[in-house]
Parts: sequence; C-alpha cells; structure tokens
Amino acid sequence: MESFFVRYRNLVVLLAILMAQIAGLAVQVRRSSTGTNTLDPSDPSGVRLIRLWGNAIISPPERLIHGTKIGLGALWTDYINLRHVRDENQDLKKTVDRLRLEQAALLEDARQGQRLQALLGFQEKYIYTTVAAQAYGSSGSDYSHVFYIDKGAHDGLKPDMAVITADGIVGKVRDVFLHTAQVLAVNDATSGAGVILETTRIRGILKGDAVGHLEVVGVTADQRIQPGEKVLTAGGDLIFPRGLPVGVVERVVRDPDRDSFIDILVKPAAHLERLDEVLVITSTEPRFSPQEQQDLATSAAEQNAVPTAIKDQMKASEIMGEKLPGLIDPNLPPDQQPLHDTSNPNPAPPPPQPLHADEFSPGAATTPGAGTDTERAPKPQTTKPAVPHAAEDNGGPPQPAEVSKPQTTPQRNP
Amino acid sequence: MPLLSADSRRDMEIRSYPLLVYALVPLASLVLQAWLPRVVGRYDWFDLPLVITVYFALGRRSPIQGTIMGAGMGLFEDALSHHAIGVNGIAKTMVGFLAASVGIRIEVENQIVRLMLNFSLSLLSSVIYFFTYRFLLGLALEWSWLTELMRAVGNSLIAIVLFPLLDRLQMRE
Repeated sequence: MESFFVRYRNLVVLLAILMAQIAGLAVQVRRSSTGTNTLDPSDPSGVRLIRLWGNAIISPPERLIHGTKIGLGALWTDYINLRHVRDENQDLKKTVDRLRLEQAALLEDARQGQRLQALLGFQEKYIYTTVAAQAYGSSGSDYSHVFYIDKGAHDGLKPDMAVITADGIVGKVRDVFLHTAQVLAVNDATSGAGVILETTRIRGILKGDAVGHLEVVGVTADQRIQPGEKVLTAGGDLIFPRGLPVGVVERVVRDPDRDSFIDILVKPAAHLERLDEVLVITSTEPRFSPQEQQDLATSAAEQNAVPTAIKDQMKASEIMGEKLPGLIDPNLPPDQQPLHDTSNPNPAPPPPQPLHADEFSPGAATTPGAGTDTERAPKPQTTKPAVPHAAEDNGGPPQPAEVSKPQTTPQRNP
Repeated sequence: MPLLSADSRRDMEIRSYPLLVYALVPLASLVLQAWLPRVVGRYDWFDLPLVITVYFALGRRSPIQGTIMGAGMGLFEDALSHHAIGVNGIAKTMVGFLAASVGIRIEVENQIVRLMLNFSLSLLSSVIYFFTYRFLLGLALEWSWLTELMRAVGNSLIAIVLFPLLDRLQMRE
C-alpha cells in the first residue's frame, strides 16, 4: 500500500487537491427554484475567509504601488510640469466667477424643485451623503468585472451601496472588508440595474456582456430608439437613485435568443476601465437643511390653504346657481318646469320621434315591459337640481359629478 | 522537440531559487495582475499568475510542486474575483501539474518550445475553466473564445520576455 502512494504520489496529490477544490465549489452553488444553478450570493464563512485572506495579502502591496503611481504623477503635475499655469489660473478665475453667477440661479431652481417634489409626496430618493474613495485594484480577470476601493466598513460602507462618478454610475458595493471594499462594475455579466431611455421613456435592464460592454436587455423592438439617446437610471432597483447618467445608446441589435426583443448597446458615461476617484452613495434618505425645512413648512401651509380656496369657489358657484334658472325645479309640477316655459321665443326643438321605438330610443326606460314613455320617464322627485346645494343641505360635501345626472333627456319628452 | 529518456531525467538540472523568489515572484504576479488592468484598461491580454506557474513548474520539474503552486495561484485569483472560489484553482492546478510533467520529458530551454507550451497551456487553462464553470457547476457564463485566444498569445509573448529574466534569479552551484 505504501509503495502505491509512493509510486503514484504525484497523481495522488493532484487528485487530493482537485477533490478538495471540487468539494469547496459544491458548497458555493445553490439550486434555484427555477431549476438552474446559481452562485450563493452570500458567501459561506469559509469562502469569505479565503476572500479576506486574499484581500489582506494582495491589497497592501497593490495600494502601495497605486499610491506610488499617484505620488509620482502628483510630483510631475504639481512641481515639475508647471508651464502655462499662470495663464490657466487666470482663465480659471474667470470661469469661477461665471459659474458662481450660474450657481446662484441654479440653486434657486433646485430648491424650488425639491420643495415641489416634497409637496407632491415624491418618493424618489436623493443623494445626500457620499464617501469619496480611490479605486486601486481589480480582480485581474475579464470574467469578473470587479474592482477594489480603499474605503470599507470602517468608513460606513455596506453591501449594495451605489458607486458613481461625476460622469455616471459605476457599480455597486459587493463585499465589504474593514478598510477596503469590492465593487461589482455595471459592465459585469452578473450585474443588473434598472434604466430608462431619456426621450422614449423605454425601460430595460442594464448588464454587461462577455467582453465587458454595456447593454440594455429586455426591451421589445422599437423604431424610436436611435443612437445618441441618453440612458438614465430608472430608480426601481433600490440601489441607484433615479436619473443618474448611465451612458448613450451606441447601436441597437436583435436579441439572439428572443425574436421580438432587442439589445441596446450603450457607451458608458463613466470610464469604467480606468477609474480613479469614485463616490459611494452611503445615504439616500431625504434630509433638508433648517432653511429648506422652514421653506417646506411654509409651502405645506400654502398647500393646506388650497382646499379652503376650492371650498370658497364651490360656495360661490352655489350662490350663482341659485340665482340662475335651473333646468329642473323640484318644487314645480312637471308641466311647469323651466323647460316648458313658453315665454322663450327660441325654445330648443324636441328630439324627433322614432318610427319604431325600442329600449334605446330617447326616453325609453331600461326596465323591460314598462308602460308608455311618459311612465318610463323619471319622476321629478327623484331628480336633483342643477346646482349642488341639495347635497350640501344634507350635510354632505358638494358632489359635482351628481349635478350633471338630472340633465337627462326624459325631461324633454312630451 | 528533443525528447528525453527516463534515465536522463535524473541527470537534468533541477533549478532552485532563493526562498524569497518563491514568495515574491508569485505575489508580484498576483499584484500586477490585479493592478495592471486598471492602468492599461484591458483585462484580456495576459494572465501573469499562469505564466509564473508554468515557469516554476517547468523549472522545478516537480509535478507536486507545480500542482501546489498552480492551486495556490488559482485560489488567490478566485479570491479576488466575485466568482466561485476554486474554478481558477482547478484550472491552474492542472496546468501546474501538466507543465511539470512535460518539463520532465522535454527540453524546455528553447524559446520556441516555451512559447508553444505557454500558448497551449493557456488555452488548456481556459478550456478547464469553461468546463468547470459551465458543466461541473452548471452556471451560466458569458464566454468569448477569441478573448481566450488573445490571452494565450499575450501569455506566450510575455513568457518569452519574462522567462530569461527569471532565469537570472536561479541559484548557481
């Protein structure tokens, strides 16, 4: 037995290591309800430990190299390559002055927009707190578009937080370590984000393909989608706030798997392959400054004043209605209703009599077997006046929808 | 390609390196593999841990050492990704074992031989990765054979440059 292991020790070691890894893989895969295998999104403790070790060993030298590169770049740009800085400084000062004026105008618009959205009970979330982070490493594999940032649980990061740049969305936090975090980029094949096309308002799911290109899938064929249209986040995935730029439509191709669907290839707004500084959205709950809260309270008071104004208008219309002649007066017999008033020199002509009256003829009652047209006509007592004061007399609110009911043609029937 | 008989195996040179080289070179390959794509903007041009695995497996001519090194490198790569841990591990375990087994039988000093070995072992690694992911685990995987071909070519070119440099690090008696 001993000689067997000695003789085939190479194969034995190979098989042992392979079997150990296969057993480890079996722990990580789950059978979904649809019958397909999926990776367990929450890493088992052993797997997480391996990721933690890998990150702990690789990250420090990686950050060192990245820091050195940034330092050398800063040394060059800040101390050596300073040509044209004076001219550039002058230009920048002018730009700052111009932007300050623009900012003042935009700030007012933004405040007004926020107030209005808050008044309307707008449920979409805003970005309120972000954490700036430096992207320093990747998985090193094109089948796993993840990268690492130098902020982690210590800085308040949690899984599924959105990661963006000033240009557009980048990805979401997948795994958080103490001082670092792994971010799943939007161009990964396993990624997914709800997006909407800006002008056509067509929704779809953003994901990456085999080579890391962005595409919107799950879209039915539509001729209106043209290259150049902007793609924004739709806000329905509970990760990315609504309205963040994603990219622009590059071209549209047919979905190879489904006939009536198309894939929209998107040119990303952010430079996904060469990220440097990113922002992690750590809070999207609406938070207003004291001034904004005061403005909101004022606006809310104004909003409460709106129903009072409507009530005043209703009351005024009632008074006007009482002064005007109604079509039906419940206190008068049918032959003395205002419609039968012969004092009008140009009375409205009665509708022509049908040759063969049926249940659809004007004035016909809906009840089968009813008597004559006169009998079918609604009784005056059941009708309501043309003005809503009757409803108010009963103590109920005015109901304009019921006001129009009495204006029925049976009253015009002879 | 000169084939070696079983008797000549004992006479072949088994390269040895300072202990620091065994630790730092694989670590450097892992770090660079994770860092360089962010600088050059491409992921699919090279697989430095694979090249290093092949180099040490060929140089040491020990299937067990090649197997262990391949497994270690693959597991580290898996740990940095968001995929299952062990897929790269299995692929590189096989590559390390095969590279060492081939190194016993053929002369691997020739540059053409090194180039061909790296090319074929890179493709083999891709095939094993694909097989493991798609058929063993039954997971969906977006795959591009063109990318794998490009990576195999990139690994071969890197090996031609890197192997002579690493040869300088070996201990001479």
